[in-house]
Amino acid sequence: MLAVHNLQKTYIQAENPTPALQGITFSVDKGEFVSIMGPSGSGKSTLLNILSFLDRPTGGTYTFEGKSIDDMDDRALAHVRNQDMGFVFQSFNLLARLTVYENVEIPLLYSQVPVAERRERIEEAVRSVGLPEKLFVEAGRLSGGQKQRVAIARALVTDPAIIFADEPTGNLDSKSGAQVLEILESLNQKGRTIILVTHETSTAEFASRIIHLTDGKIDSDRPVSKAAHEHRHFQK
Amino acid sequence: MLLNDAFKTAKRSLAQSKMRSLLTMLGIIIGIASVIVLMSIGKSAEALIVNQVQSVGSNLVFVIPGGSPNNRFSSPAASQGIVITSLNERDAEALQRELSVSNVVADVRGQAQVVYGDNDVTTTYNGTTANHFAVMNMMPERGYAFSKSDVDSLNRVAVIGQQLAMTLFGPNVDPVNKNIRVKGLTFRVVGVLPPKGTGTFGIDQDNLVLIPISVAQHEMLGINHYNDLIVEGNPAYEQSFIKSRITFILRQNHGVTDPAKDDFTIRTQEDLLSLLGNITSILTIFLTAIASISLIVGGIGIMNIMLVSVSERTREIGLRKAVGATDRDILQQFLIEAVLLTMLGGLLGLLFGALVVGLIYMAAVRFSSVGWVFVLPMSAVVLALLVSTFSGLAFGIYPARQAAKKNPIDALRYE
Repeated sequence: MLAVHNLQKTYIQAENPTPALQGITFSVDKGEFVSIMGPSGSGKSTLLNILSFLDRPTGGTYTFEGKSIDDMDDRALAHVRNQDMGFVFQSFNLLARLTVYENVEIPLLYSQVPVAERRERIEEAVRSVGLPEKLFVEAGRLSGGQKQRVAIARALVTDPAIIFADEPTGNLDSKSGAQVLEILESLNQKGRTIILVTHETSTAEFASRIIHLTDGKIDSDRPVSKAAHEHRHFQK
Repeated sequence: MLLNDAFKTAKRSLAQSKMRSLLTMLGIIIGIASVIVLMSIGKSAEALIVNQVQSVGSNLVFVIPGGSPNNRFSSPAASQGIVITSLNERDAEALQRELSVSNVVADVRGQAQVVYGDNDVTTTYNGTTANHFAVMNMMPERGYAFSKSDVDSLNRVAVIGQQLAMTLFGPNVDPVNKNIRVKGLTFRVVGVLPPKGTGTFGIDQDNLVLIPISVAQHEMLGINHYNDLIVEGNPAYEQSFIKSRITFILRQNHGVTDPAKDDFTIRTQEDLLSLLGNITSILTIFLTAIASISLIVGGIGIMNIMLVSVSERTREIGLRKAVGATDRDILQQFLIEAVLLTMLGGLLGLLFGALVVGLIYMAAVRFSSVGWVFVLPMSAVVLALLVSTFSGLAFGIYPARQAAKKNPIDALRYE
């Protein structure tokens, strides 16, 4: 589905080049659930930004569904983000004064989906995260866990091939966090590719594979052990 | 993003902070209202003047003693208080014989105290010929106009203006056949004029006393010349031809061979309308230009608030970009918000301006005898809407570009 080879990202700060990613190489197959882990400053958010087409690398190659990021202009990147990618952020990024319906509608506004079809898709997405009764409630009135579920509905509404989740449980209590991870897990079980960025091992182990970064380099890329899976389900 | 969705999104954003939107629009509302009020007053004044000039009758040519050497709109000497005696009975008779002329009215004027009983008022008296009433479209609404035989016989009869009748006689006394004293002489009032407002020579016709020219010349002023001649052209002839014939006859009468030394000035109604039109147009442009400054201030207000809004909504911009909005979508959204604000401001300004114009009109009708005409020029309405829309585009483009240029990653992290 996506592949990076010798990926580099260097920021220029006060005329000094600061490398954030150095020679990252890996690929993700369709239907995989991959966690990217690492301490603060390890480059995991930078990597997620590049993988999700929000940023461009300064070196190396990145192909998504067979297309290289280098061959696409900003407009094309926006189109792919809208059609093929879903985003779940740590701080939800909902518009508090809009209703759940209006928040989930936002990605559809940029894909020119007809109004009648929009309603169907929004209701389906909100139902799939278990909040059908909150459809016309202002997002600002929801609890943290409900907000993140609305954010997942927003990510799902365009039926994307991949969902990028950046610390999705970071602002939630353990119960709400577990609910969110279960939703992501069930989406993965239905065939959707998920890339999750986290610094918590217990969260990362919901995935089937963990890529660990340190100082902008991959220091491990391993499948999650059966024991860890069992431990996680035991904790649930 | 579909335009319809863009409008809905912009409307939703504006509705979320109603008070701020209203305050943001205030500058535009005041600016557009000022432009509407000033343009309307300018156009109303123009319409009033045109009405008054045209109300004295059509196809008139005014002959004023003294030349106006610089151009057709410079003041003749007579209008600057210099006594010039170049127009006289011989001129009037010669013009009356001209085929292209139907009527010649001669006028002399002075100021005098007019007395009835205990009431007195100082006003203008106008000695004139009997045809004045028909030519100037000023037939009395009560009583009758004095006749040629009154003029020839030096009869002391007077026709007075509406306001003067009210001042001297009050509402309950009919002035007709009452005696008044003008400059110490007794006149019998034979007629009262309808309300006319200010006339062609800037004279308040509602406070005027019209008396036979013979009496005014010989018994009050002691002069043989005229202050002006009003020539009514024969409708069968072009006004330019009539003007050229009058010029020819007067030059012949006065022995003038060099046109630069003309001792008279001829003005047609068209000249007057054109001159007055120029004055009111310049005034309107000047006032509108002043009002436009408030529009610019209003526009800067819009830009300022839009910049604040862009800054406050940085995370929203980041989110929209993350889920697929292009720079153009964001630019369009903020631009539509600015244009909606200014268009709505323009509409409210238009309504507010029309309301103020209506109030001014009502006050003018209530407190002034002048026949004000209510004019809300369509051009002002169109201009107001165009200007407000354009100011939205002009002052909204910078904040919208700032929004569109935002990097989605930085925008999403913005606190």
